[in-house]
Amino acid sequence: MTFNRREFLATGAAATAAIGTPMILKAQAKEYVLGASLPLTGPFATAGQLVAPAFSLAQKLFNDEGGIAGIPIRFVTEDSGYVPQNTLANYQRVLATEGNSLVAYFSDSTGAMKLIAPELKGDNARLMGSTSFASELADPATHPYQYLSGPTYQDQFDILMQNIKLAGGSKIAIIYSNTEFGRDPLEHGRAKAAELGLEIVLEETTKPQGADIPTHVTKLAQSGAEHCILHGYVTGVWPQLIGGARQFGLPVQFHGTFWGMEKLIADRITAEAGPFLAGYQGVMPYRYFYDRDDAPRYQQYAALSKAMFAGTPLENYMSTWALQAMCGLELAMKALRATAEAGNELTADNVAENLSGISDWDSGGFFGGPVSMTNNKIGTGRVYEYSPETKLFTPSSDWLST
Amino acid sequence: MGQFTQFAINGLMSGAIYALIAVGIVSVYKATKVVNFAHGYLIMFGAYFYFTFAVIIPGQEWAPEWLASWKPSWMLEMRKGLGMFSPLGAVLDWMANIPRILLGLVGAVSCNAILGRVVERTLMRPLMGQSVFAMIMVTVGLISILSGSASLIWTADAAFVPHIAPNTPIRFELFGTMIFLFGADIVNMLIALLIFGGIVTMVKFTKAGIAIRATAEDQSTAYSMGISVPKVFSNAWVLASTTGAVAGAILATRNGISPSLGLFGFSVLAIVLMGGLDSYVGCFIAAMSVGVLEAMTQWKMGGEWAAIVPYVAVLVVIIFRPHGLMGQKEVERI
Repeated sequence: MTFNRREFLATGAAATAAIGTPMILKAQAKEYVLGASLPLTGPFATAGQLVAPAFSLAQKLFNDEGGIAGIPIRFVTEDSGYVPQNTLANYQRVLATEGNSLVAYFSDSTGAMKLIAPELKGDNARLMGSTSFASELADPATHPYQYLSGPTYQDQFDILMQNIKLAGGSKIAIIYSNTEFGRDPLEHGRAKAAELGLEIVLEETTKPQGADIPTHVTKLAQSGAEHCILHGYVTGVWPQLIGGARQFGLPVQFHGTFWGMEKLIADRITAEAGPFLAGYQGVMPYRYFYDRDDAPRYQQYAALSKAMFAGTPLENYMSTWALQAMCGLELAMKALRATAEAGNELTADNVAENLSGISDWDSGGFFGGPVSMTNNKIGTGRVYEYSPETKLFTPSSDWLST
Repeated sequence: MGQFTQFAINGLMSGAIYALIAVGIVSVYKATKVVNFAHGYLIMFGAYFYFTFAVIIPGQEWAPEWLASWKPSWMLEMRKGLGMFSPLGAVLDWMANIPRILLGLVGAVSCNAILGRVVERTLMRPLMGQSVFAMIMVTVGLISILSGSASLIWTADAAFVPHIAPNTPIRFELFGTMIFLFGADIVNMLIALLIFGGIVTMVKFTKAGIAIRATAEDQSTAYSMGISVPKVFSNAWVLASTTGAVAGAILATRNGISPSLGLFGFSVLAIVLMGGLDSYVGCFIAAMSVGVLEAMTQWKMGGEWAAIVPYVAVLVVIIFRPHGLMGQKEVERI
């Protein structure tokens, strides 16, 4: 076969295009984007605004460490108003504008995670963490790209009930908000209580904000409960319920779950209403930020916070809500880096595979020891107790796994 | 029977707060025919003003110490040895907060009055003579302005404020059942009822009240009779804002301060529709009924039903009496 000059040039150009085009298309991004929706307005704006600074800290920290295989990362955070449809719209928008540069997303509610889950298919799929500990999400078969950065709400109920049983409790009340978040662990909680021989004497649902405290406290008093689990609240209702019960003279021991365990809220209540939260206990997946002697990663955060947030309350304290976001981002980065270092594309499938393979991870202090991802969650936590005198939550149990 | 009484009282206490919120919506409607969808956010501003004057200002370094905590020696002496929730202890703890509570209330009412007047003069007055629908849409837009402004000024941080009245626990036996009430809730209810009663009396017996009623009947005729309709509009907004300030302060003491306070207005809108948009008495009956119905449903059927049953009752009333329990039949609705 012979080529004349024109045929040779044309064939050469076609071959170059055929071989080179995919390489051009798959060229490494100049930067990777991690998107996020936060409730900067709306009913949970308090939490959203405390979490938001964590993203700027994370961007600085991760980029100082070399980003993902030397490529810098950038966060795109948007307000959702705690409306799942807004989070979905934010996700679709950042997907459209950033394309393949978008490698992970941080969502802001159980509702949003469930709404977005069916969208995570093919080219539209990305690894997705969130503020949620919803039990339904901890299932790689149905939610392969979504993960929890701690124990599910069901796990948290398990930990609390085990602790109540160990303390000799027998009659418990469960008071929860009338939200998806509040109802999440109920059925499982009933089964766990039966398994442990605990009698649930009251199941009471309340509004998530502005609940009718006298009515709920009256029912709690009538139930004869020794222990009461409060679940599905963030800044309100749980303190008022405890305060009301104390005024009522009820000797009930109160227990909370992750979102009702923030020191900033407990401190503010104590300052304004007195030390009635004394003895309040709850399950917390992470070490508190002030307990960082054995937490080198927290020490790095603290040094950065001092520099980045000087003159603000964030200078010295990172809320548990922000720690949850940081833990979620650490897990995502670990999976992304492992994928990139293995020479693989940062597709949702590749990254999710690396995420689910995280084993014996030394988190640098978030948890009591090395942890592993099992069913896209980390099922560990411990019980802390609040002291109005020291204004600290201190551990009242060992690290418990589920 | 004792149990029934307990939950009925709980419901009446909630109902009184609903009535205090409703009075603002009715006042504006009576005078201007505008359904103020932003009323909940005026209440939220009242709560934040109360927070500013009762917590932020007394906490400043330059503020006198007695403003933050007034504790004369006799009070310290009396407080010694009393438990946190002892009745006398609770009263003394509250008394230490009296200066900042008063400052908070005066500040909240004054600032909200100014806010109400500004809203009326800048947003509503220019639309006089235009369709009522346009004015209603402005109140919808006002929601975004007020909620955004609150976030800018106070951020979304949750905070807590001192009770307006001593939160002394009150216990007594009735029909063999121990009844338990919160002192602050009883006082809040009395404050709400007093304000409500005062406004109804004012509307019925004073010149300003007659002007409001005349304007509500027919603005053109009221004009021709020498009533300054713009002034009536303005007064109605100020009245709604000031009562909203008190309602906001009370809500803040019950639920803490957060941007979600603005959402209370929406649930009360349904109550106002049930009572009749232009009827103070109708709204009072509706507010009390919904409060009691909520408490009873919570007691007997649980919270899932408590969120539904009272509002089903509202719908039923509206189906059979579209103008509400005591509203005027010719009321034009949106």
